[in-house]
Amino acid sequence: MTMTIRALLATSALGLLLSAPARAEDVVIGLATAQTGALAFADQPSLAGFRMAMDEINAKGGLGGKYKVTLDVKDTRSDTGATVQAAQELVAEGVKVLITPCDADPSIAAGQISQTAQIPTLTFCGTTPTITDAVGDYMFGTYPADNGQATLLAEYAAQQGYKTAYILKSPDTAYTLRLPEYFADVFQKKGGTIAGEGTFAMGQQDFGAEVTKIAAMNPQPDVIMTAAYEPDFPAFLKALRGAGVKAPILGSDGIDSPTTTGLGAIANGIVHTTAGFPADGTPLGDFYAKYEKATGAKPETVYVATGYEIPYILDAAVTAAGTMDGPALRDALANLENVPVLTGKVTYKGTNRMPIRDITLVKIEDGARSPVETATPDAALVPAP
Amino acid sequence: MTPTSSAPFLTVTDLSVRYGAVEAVHGLSLEVERGSITVLLGANGAGKSSTLAALTGIAPAKGGLQFDGLSLTGMMPEEIVRHGIALCPEGRRVFPSLSVADNLHLGGAAHVKGDALAARIEAELDRFPILRERFHQRAGLLSGGEQQMLAIARALMSAPRLLLLDEPSLGLAPKVVDQVFDLVLSLRDQGITILLVEQNAERALDIANRGYVLQSGRLVLSGSGAELAGSDLIRQAYLAG
Amino acid sequence: MDVFLQQCLNAISLGGIYALLALGLAVVFSIVSLINFAHGELMTLAGYAIYAALLFAMPLPVALGAGVIAAALAAMAIERVAFRPMRRADATSLLITSFAVSVILRVLFQNGISARPKPVALPPELSGVVTFGPVHLSVIALASIAITILSLAALSLFLTRTTMGRAMRAAAEDFQVLRLMGIRANRVIAVAFAISGALAGVSAALWIAQRGSVDPLMGFVPVLKAFIAAVIGGLGSLPGAVAGGFALGIAEVLFQAFLPPEALPFRDAFVLSLVVAVLIWRPDGLIPAKTGRRS
Repeated sequence: MTMTIRALLATSALGLLLSAPARAEDVVIGLATAQTGALAFADQPSLAGFRMAMDEINAKGGLGGKYKVTLDVKDTRSDTGATVQAAQELVAEGVKVLITPCDADPSIAAGQISQTAQIPTLTFCGTTPTITDAVGDYMFGTYPADNGQATLLAEYAAQQGYKTAYILKSPDTAYTLRLPEYFADVFQKKGGTIAGEGTFAMGQQDFGAEVTKIAAMNPQPDVIMTAAYEPDFPAFLKALRGAGVKAPILGSDGIDSPTTTGLGAIANGIVHTTAGFPADGTPLGDFYAKYEKATGAKPETVYVATGYEIPYILDAAVTAAGTMDGPALRDALANLENVPVLTGKVTYKGTNRMPIRDITLVKIEDGARSPVETATPDAALVPAP
Repeated sequence: MTPTSSAPFLTVTDLSVRYGAVEAVHGLSLEVERGSITVLLGANGAGKSSTLAALTGIAPAKGGLQFDGLSLTGMMPEEIVRHGIALCPEGRRVFPSLSVADNLHLGGAAHVKGDALAARIEAELDRFPILRERFHQRAGLLSGGEQQMLAIARALMSAPRLLLLDEPSLGLAPKVVDQVFDLVLSLRDQGITILLVEQNAERALDIANRGYVLQSGRLVLSGSGAELAGSDLIRQAYLAG
Repeated sequence: MDVFLQQCLNAISLGGIYALLALGLAVVFSIVSLINFAHGELMTLAGYAIYAALLFAMPLPVALGAGVIAAALAAMAIERVAFRPMRRADATSLLITSFAVSVILRVLFQNGISARPKPVALPPELSGVVTFGPVHLSVIALASIAITILSLAALSLFLTRTTMGRAMRAAAEDFQVLRLMGIRANRVIAVAFAISGALAGVSAALWIAQRGSVDPLMGFVPVLKAFIAAVIGGLGSLPGAVAGGFALGIAEVLFQAFLPPEALPFRDAFVLSLVVAVLIWRPDGLIPAKTGRRS
């Protein structure tokens, strides 16, 4: 009996060994991302898009036409320590590419592990432009960076003839602090003046004191800019309009959610950045239709689309490199130029691995968004991270 | 123990009360006759209060607890009081920030409602006129004696058949102590059976039909009030003579 | 002066919400010595109930009522399932249980509903402004103040005029004696949880009116505020919770209003230092609870 089992085991082991070369094109991509906790609002939709694209690419033969990908998805619970642990396990397991959460801190922590192991690593939608340099040459951003968004907003403000701006920032995250500061930087370069700035603590929702100060400003600022998002942004807007302040508002991609359009008339005239606008007939519009057909619901956020774009960016790099070996793939990624994706074109060549890509400005009117413009920020104006 | 003519009202058989590692009562057996005053004597920590706690369901008890044909073992305190046993706890334990009115209200609310409840409160105010004067004051502001009256009145609000009184005279002025003992007698005369725990052994035995003496959780002596008052043990231990 | 007056109104409006939040924690703590950190998730649940009711085109008052009722029922269910089996456990075990309930609910919301915020669109009339002479008050702030006053009045009537209300006040002082009166412990505790849940529902309505959405993690900040307010006021004391809520709201608004801009990022540090100072001055809080004696 024992002999039989041993013989069987030996045979099957031999079989596995023999069949291994034939399946050499199977690779694993590891995702150490947050499916629960504070970052799940971004990582869950990103993962949904990522999976969909990966399935499509696998159906067509895999990355670069030859690498069939299996995904190893580990939940980091939005905890940086758990992200590091997940990254260590995935690296030990031999993943070819690592995907990290939509936030700077866990992405940098996980990136330091994959950097040492020479595994190309991409953050879902981390927007802090310092992520890549904090880690090294294997770390790539995929989403429009904060300084790019701020530049486009400041250019728009100047175009509108706004001379004075009030910025509202929170020191709680790099996004809510630095994005308005980048904006102020570019706005002043363009001849504008920062008439005042305010600070808030994230999640607290109370803006009564702050808006009373804004209402007391004389003269009133021409425009108010903030990178606050939910729940702070709607609370700020309600309090602001409640205090009788009428200045127009510029926001960032964090408010690209149905909540903002659900705010009614007080949201009219808000202009904000986003990774893309799903107009009919555009690639993004087509994707939204396809996604709705496949899942029964439209994407709740553009993160589904930006998650979907990542496998296609990888596909372009693997095709160029002809291999998924770390150093070759890293070089191929770093040299990508004008890769067409849903929201425009993505370029890494000549960057610090935060991509140059199109950013869209949208305006809210009567509970709906409409595109204002889509542009790549002027590289000469983009502030250094 | 002398057998009594009628069946005992309350029979405790081989009762043990244990708090974690500490056994406060070991194998205690006693009987309380209907319409009598029975006294439990003993030094601090002898197990008197634990016995009352077992009888009212607030302490974990092992052994037999028969009350008027009903086993109390394993019953919740909320059930036991519905069967007619009320405890007036040691230290009075009125609800200090509630008014006298609210304290009385809560004493009866689980038993009667509406007009019947109001009538019971009225009856207690007749029994304790001082409480009528203090009716809307917070119980915590009452004097010790007044709080004791309130605690007894509150226990009576459930119209108990057996009233357990734990150290009702403790810390009270001599005049008030007299009132308390008079009250106990008059309650017994109204047909309420009394089980009394007292430090004041002399006064207690004076009104008791029967007494039990506990030491370190064990029964060491029992007898009629007069017998116990005359016993050497009681004289030495409690009667300061 | 006008600005000062305006800031005072802001402080009252915020303080009222904190008072309701702190009361929700205090009602339960006063009776079972449990700080229910799942209180925030009860708010979130109320938020989803309001969201769902509005989705089915119910009128706003009905939707808000649905939120309050959902939170009250959920609070009772949590008590029955999670806390009642732990009745004899010590305070630490209870605290850990409440954390566990909180985490489980959050994951259920994230994976069962959505990790994304769900918009709760309120009628445009609620975005209006009311002007009294020099001061502006948004309809939401005004409604917050009115609802806070109404809720406090209703709770106070309940606590002083009904048997159950009296029993709850008594339970906070001496639960054992209350049981000796024949008042059922389980019922008192269940009602305490229901009231706490209803308060969570009312707070959720006010909280959501500000933010316009509900998301799985919505309850975290408010429960923290509630905890701080309840501690300043005196844990387990209901008047203390109200006082603590207003004290916290007033401190936050006044620091935000009058700190120099360079110091503003440290506003919460200033507020918490003040909390520490209050606790050094009055270790049991502004209006300490009359602790029930256990013998």
